[in-house]
Amino acid sequence: LHFHFSWFCFVCQRRGQFHSLHTCSPPALPVGRITALQALEFWKKHFEESGVTEPDLSSHYIVAHSLGGKTVQQRKLTEFLSREKTEQIWKLCTKRLSRMPVQYVIQEWDFRDLTLTMRPPVFIPRPETEELVELVLTDLKNKPSSGDTVQTCLEVGCGSGAVSLSLLSSCPQLQVVALDRSQEAVELTKENASRLKLQDRIQIHHLDFMTEADEACSRCSPVSVLVSNPPYLFSDDVKTLEPEILRFEDPFALDGGSDGLTVIKQILTVAPKILSDRGGIYLEVDPRHPPLIQQWVEANVAELRYVETRPDINSRPRFCVLQKKQRELDVK
Amino acid sequence: MLKCGDMLVSRWLRLRSLCNRVCPHTRREERKGLLWRRTLIGHQFTGTLASSRPCHSDVGDLYQNECIQRYLQQLMQEYRYICQRLELPHISEADRRALIKKHTELLPLADVFTDIEEALKDQQEVSSLLLGSVGAKDEDKQLTELLKEEEAQISCKVLTLRKNLVKALVPIDPLDSSNVLLEVMAGRTTGGDICQQFTREMFDMYRGYAWFKNWDFEVYNYTPAEYGGLHHAAVRIAGIDVYKHLKHEGGTHRVQRIPEVGLSSRMQRIHTGTMTVIVLPQPVELDLHIDPKDLRIDTFRSRGAGGQSVNTTDSAVRVVHLPTGTVAECQQSRSQLQNRDTAMRMLRARLYQSMMGEEIKHRQTVRKQQVGERSQSDRIRTYNFSQDRVTDHRTGHVARDIKEFMRGGGALDNLISDVLENEEKQALLELVENRGNGRDLTNPD
Repeated sequence: LHFHFSWFCFVCQRRGQFHSLHTCSPPALPVGRITALQALEFWKKHFEESGVTEPDLSSHYIVAHSLGGKTVQQRKLTEFLSREKTEQIWKLCTKRLSRMPVQYVIQEWDFRDLTLTMRPPVFIPRPETEELVELVLTDLKNKPSSGDTVQTCLEVGCGSGAVSLSLLSSCPQLQVVALDRSQEAVELTKENASRLKLQDRIQIHHLDFMTEADEACSRCSPVSVLVSNPPYLFSDDVKTLEPEILRFEDPFALDGGSDGLTVIKQILTVAPKILSDRGGIYLEVDPRHPPLIQQWVEANVAELRYVETRPDINSRPRFCVLQKKQRELDVK
Repeated sequence: MLKCGDMLVSRWLRLRSLCNRVCPHTRREERKGLLWRRTLIGHQFTGTLASSRPCHSDVGDLYQNECIQRYLQQLMQEYRYICQRLELPHISEADRRALIKKHTELLPLADVFTDIEEALKDQQEVSSLLLGSVGAKDEDKQLTELLKEEEAQISCKVLTLRKNLVKALVPIDPLDSSNVLLEVMAGRTTGGDICQQFTREMFDMYRGYAWFKNWDFEVYNYTPAEYGGLHHAAVRIAGIDVYKHLKHEGGTHRVQRIPEVGLSSRMQRIHTGTMTVIVLPQPVELDLHIDPKDLRIDTFRSRGAGGQSVNTTDSAVRVVHLPTGTVAECQQSRSQLQNRDTAMRMLRARLYQSMMGEEIKHRQTVRKQQVGERSQSDRIRTYNFSQDRVTDHRTGHVARDIKEFMRGGGALDNLISDVLENEEKQALLELVENRGNGRDLTNPD
């Protein structure tokens, strides 16, 4: 695109032709008026040259957001941008240049049918977790609550609230208790809950499940469902993550210790005290985890039964379903 | 053969219900009318008869068509033959059952047919009475007037009966009530921007039409082009009889205009561009079972560990149906799960289309021989902006005021109804020709 030369590239040109090899200082604002399409093309190219991942989509989503939409498609690309809009796009795109995830840059993202506010360092929900919700929803609908008892659910590590709020919005009777060790996460979940008008059926506690498990038990037992997307990455793998994750997301939401099982084991140990009889546990885990978890549970937690491993959309063993056994007395 | 038989049965069923509606009404009224006329002859009468509405109809005209007449006569002949056979003493039980079935099928049509013949007889009677009253005295003038009105009324009724008869003969498309997946695609002629601009206008037109018809309009994909144009869009349109109204929109639409934006706008001369509309009937959810094992789902996250170790904004999903190689993609939503659901709906529609493909292909080849070399891929309509005119090439229907037309309201609806009626006529003719040439009607399957 020819117009680049006139108003941007002189910054880099002065430093030499190989500006893709080093990080440029943020590009100057264009002198004249430009259209949304020109801004979009410019930033796409600039991201590309600066080694920012997903240059095309990043540019698209930021420009769309600045124009007030989710996608750029419905917007009129040919119209000229106002000075304020141009400045906003330049400001946001410069953030992206520092490898800040797009979700943090535009401060929102979609999870299933909800649009959630996103803010660093609270973990950005991944698409696999949409399927975790699907799994819980299917089971909740197949096993309607017996009698008048209201179904309750505990989420350990709620982050932005994606899982809890999706469950609430799909099940009008459900009550949820959500925990997180991070104050920022608790705040964000509260914010998202009230924006989606779901705050009446959710209790959000600032608790560390690793150290304050007893406190957690007293706050919520018994529940019919325990769901969690706990930190499950192996510590060694964390070091090799993309800068988007490494620099911006809360490591406590990612790092599951040397075998990625630290938090998972804690959850499974405490779960029998929290769950009602035949209550279910739904976990998102690393694809290497399911057999390890099954083995460990069978050896260490007699009250739990390992039900099944479910694959994600890409056929990786991703979800573990467990159930609290019925007490012996009841069986007799 | 079996299918043919089924189609025939469903047609007859429809015909019968129609006749139940039509026959008692017309018969009773006409008989009463005649009786009334006979008793009133010679008396003073000052009331007015129901004014005759213009009952002219294009579909009804087909009644006069030679092939249709032949087809009708064949069916009537078959009916009489069956009646005769049924009176014979020595026929096997199986034969009798088959004959009775056929008889029940044909009876309603035979009834309407008889009604028409009776009405024609009445008409003749009135005509001869009229002829006799020519040059009558003043006091008979009023009677003459009455007779004239009566005649008009009968001929109007005959036309209505004929129209209904012909309409009932039109084969029903079982997909008519389906929802559709509608795709618009810009053509690739020189000066692509005019095509893309036009594609967006067409997209807006169908959105307007869906609104006009009170249909749901859900965008599955929208790939914009430069200068506010549109490369491709896919939408799901749901509502009453959507496929019936939109099926004939499929094909190439041509635009002629002086471009307003884009590169070609620099030269102020008339450009020609094209875009394509694809209309697929969308199956009812239960019609089609897809085994999850037959699907391959591709996402950005297909490779590597996925999960917490990857953060991406690429939520596009591609679903491949392995046994058929059918593919559907969606990247409309920021949620991967929603994109997957949308892609699955599109895949379903495409699989259904290929399932129906054989049957449709067969019908199209037959129709091609009848109507000449025309198929969905040919140009069906031209939008001439310079002359402010839309012309449909199948019917010759011309609409003025292109801006109004492209709002997708009544003007488009008129044109679509016109095309629909035309296509129904063709379908009937096709059926009649096939029947006439192909099978001996007096022999049951």
